[in-house]
Amino acid sequence: MKNQSFTSVTLAGLFAATALLIPSVASADDPPPRRSALDEQPAVRHRLLLVAKRLEATPMFESTINADFRHFIGAGLKLEYHLGDMFSIGGMIVGSTSLDTKLTKRVVETLEPDVNNMTREPSVQEFTQRLNTIPLHGSIYASLTPWYGKMAAFGKAYVNFDFYFQAGLSFATLKSDCASSICNDPMPGIDPAPADPLVNADDNPNNDPPLNSGFRPGLYLGGGIHVFINEFLALDLAIRDYAFKDNPSGADFNADLAVQDDDSRFLHHLFVGVGVSVMVPFKVKRTR
Amino acid sequence: MVRPSTLATTLGAIVVSATILGWGGLAAAQPGGDDEIEMDGEGDGSGSAGPVDEGEIEMDGEGEKDLETDLAADPTDTVKIDTTSRELKPVSWQDIVVVMRKPFLKIRRTDLMPFLSTTMNDNMIRHYAAGAQFNYFLTDVLAVGVEGQYYTKQFREPFDLVGRQARRLPTINKYNFSAALNFHYVPVYGKFAILDQKLVAWETYFTAGVGVTQSEVVPRDPRFGSFNNLLITPNIGASMRFFLFQWLTVNVGIRDYIFVDRFEPVGRSDTMFTSPDVAKENADSALINNVMFQIGVSFWIPPTFEYTTFR
Repeated sequence: MKNQSFTSVTLAGLFAATALLIPSVASADDPPPRRSALDEQPAVRHRLLLVAKRLEATPMFESTINADFRHFIGAGLKLEYHLGDMFSIGGMIVGSTSLDTKLTKRVVETLEPDVNNMTREPSVQEFTQRLNTIPLHGSIYASLTPWYGKMAAFGKAYVNFDFYFQAGLSFATLKSDCASSICNDPMPGIDPAPADPLVNADDNPNNDPPLNSGFRPGLYLGGGIHVFINEFLALDLAIRDYAFKDNPSGADFNADLAVQDDDSRFLHHLFVGVGVSVMVPFKVKRTR
Repeated sequence: MVRPSTLATTLGAIVVSATILGWGGLAAAQPGGDDEIEMDGEGDGSGSAGPVDEGEIEMDGEGEKDLETDLAADPTDTVKIDTTSRELKPVSWQDIVVVMRKPFLKIRRTDLMPFLSTTMNDNMIRHYAAGAQFNYFLTDVLAVGVEGQYYTKQFREPFDLVGRQARRLPTINKYNFSAALNFHYVPVYGKFAILDQKLVAWETYFTAGVGVTQSEVVPRDPRFGSFNNLLITPNIGASMRFFLFQWLTVNVGIRDYIFVDRFEPVGRSDTMFTSPDVAKENADSALINNVMFQIGVSFWIPPTFEYTTFR
């Protein structure tokens, strides 16, 4: 009986295993399931290759978004070569001028007009002359264009567009013009005579040099959209983030009563850009 | 008896095979794949006269005419067609317009959209908001809806810097909640391919509406109480909607909430504007553009739809 039971169990197991195997064997023998003939086909046929193997030259304008103390508005040029339909390399350079933000204007309105070292608040000159500007900035980057398509405005105007994302290195030249009569502390935060207990650091950050000028390398991220007006002209809209070490106010950030290098920190400088891209060569190819 | 039966079977097999092959050929010619939305009543391959596709519209003058009516018609009651003066225009490829049918219909559907948003244009205080929109589409391009948001705040770096470096206490308000009645219009529609593989439809829509926002003064000196303002708030905005499924879309957009806010008066102290009521009466007003970036997911009700137009 035991042997018979064992045989029954074995047979049942074999039967179950066979039953489980049958579908896979059957699926291996049968023709593959019916699929659409378009499954293996490209998503878009006869597509205009609007960027592939083309040089893109873009005169553009840029402006900061939500800047703290000064807005930067500038013009520049972007040059980009599209190695293929999705990848490209390029660089851009922008020259900017600055405008005080509303915050700066409101603070300046309330500051004391002349320097008074008896108070801890800065004068108008001490505050404004420490703020820096970004006369020149730019980036070199690699760009990915994963999305392309077309759109219709009011069902009439059909235009091609693509979205792109960029990453790379940024640079900026920073400038601050603090007069020597305002920023006149030769040794900020340093005791000029350690041996003399009566002489100490002045603990007044308002007369320290701002240390927020010079060349700054950094990182760059961006994203944007091309809206093609025709086969070789496109409207270029982008958001760009130039990240580098900066101390825009030129003031004592870490509250150690002196302006030193450690008051600079890695900051994101967000810009919005708009330009017109000219694609060279002008003639465009199509996919099959 | 055998031959006719065999012949009939053979003919039947040929007809059925031809029908099946014909359907197969048609199917292969359609822009298909997994993305395609299945149509009710679309061919089952049998070739039999099934029920009429509900998606089709009956055209006037089309269809089978009554034979008896035709026979009884007066043969003189005809119009002679002048075939000599008709302008003959050759048909070219440019005369044939191929339009892909919209993969998503919104008409008479409701869009329930929870969303998150954040301030874009305030360098002192950043608000994060959680909210929801409820929109009903009167047509495929026009919708009316309501929205509500609840805000939380975060002070940004300049808030501390101005206090520590310039020795100034900023005058700011925070927002508690807002609600609005909105109209949406969709002027731009498009599609794009992701990595040359997957097609996604999208659209751009503009929003205009009006509502209320409650703001609350953040007192410069915490000894003094704050006060609230209920502000009439028009809003305008632009957003993009990406169609992922018949029942789900992803939306991103920018909205400008415009209002005249009332701020804590300058010079508030132990002797001036001490109580919140007096401070509110003497509040300083300013026009505010609260620009918010929004991202949300829309759930569509009903979750499916049917076409009422030709393919």
